[in-house]
Amino acid sequence: MAKVAETTVIGRATFVRGRVIGTGDLEIAGRIEGEIQCSGEALVDTSGLVAANINAQRIVVRGAVRGDLVADESVHVEAGAKVVGNLRAPRIAIASGGLVRGHVQTGSAPLARPIARAASAATPSRAATTTAAHARPAAQTREVARETVAQAGREVRTVVTAPAQVKAAPAPTAAAAPITPDKQTSRREPPPPVVPVLKKGTKAVQKKR
Amino acid sequence: MASTVIGVGITIEGEITSDEDVLVQGTIRGKVVAKDGITIDQGGVVEADIASGPVAVAGAVTGNIHSTDRVDLQNGAKVIGNVKATRITIADGAQFKGNVDMDV
Repeated sequence: MAKVAETTVIGRATFVRGRVIGTGDLEIAGRIEGEIQCSGEALVDTSGLVAANINAQRIVVRGAVRGDLVADESVHVEAGAKVVGNLRAPRIAIASGGLVRGHVQTGSAPLARPIARAASAATPSRAATTTAAHARPAAQTREVARETVAQAGREVRTVVTAPAQVKAAPAPTAAAAPITPDKQTSRREPPPPVVPVLKKGTKAVQKKR
Repeated sequence: MASTVIGVGITIEGEITSDEDVLVQGTIRGKVVAKDGITIDQGGVVEADIASGPVAVAGAVTGNIHSTDRVDLQNGAKVIGNVKATRITIADGAQFKGNVDMDV
């Protein structure tokens, strides 16, 4: 009885949500969501559904697992099994008919872990940098576009203001120059809205049309 | 033999929902819902509310027990919490602290 008691069985009709931690073997025919750590063999049976990272001495999968499998000894993915997640163990067996989607790494787990972590940490960062590199030009172009638009606005404004000054005095450039710094400070604000002055009755005319 | 067994060395932190018999020889923290019976063996520790069919306790339970059938506190059992069931037996040698509600 004591030997039997070493194995934990999660039956077909049992659902566990949370952490399953401990010594001994683990046989899963039901569902587990959370985290699994055991010092013996973790067996996911054909009816087993696991949404958890499994950390065990040996892992045998005949059912479905979504999560990383890390074993100190071996991982067996048997025919009919479905695994979505990374596999890491000194020895890994994937039988024909076993479905795996994820990164597979064999070799001594203790040595491999930091490297794998570094690699996994490096690849996203690379990806991030590349995406950032891709993103930056777009942002820059956007900024440039905004600037150009802003500059266009400034030019328009200067153009608009200039003729009036020209009309008033033929050479106010020197006077205009000191004005521009003040304008630059004021340029950050959006331009005042241009409201077309409609003559009386125009709206009605438009509606009639 | 129960179809779900929480072995000696195993600790489950979380929620267990089962439509079949559960045998606890390890530790459960959280919540247990079993449609069928639950048996807590000697050495088994449950720090959780239990909602179940027939409950047999020989280990330690801290939490309320709500059974639709019967609750048996066997010799060596240690229960701290309220028990609600239609039938209840407390064996000689069982430790129990809590209220009993038998739906009278």
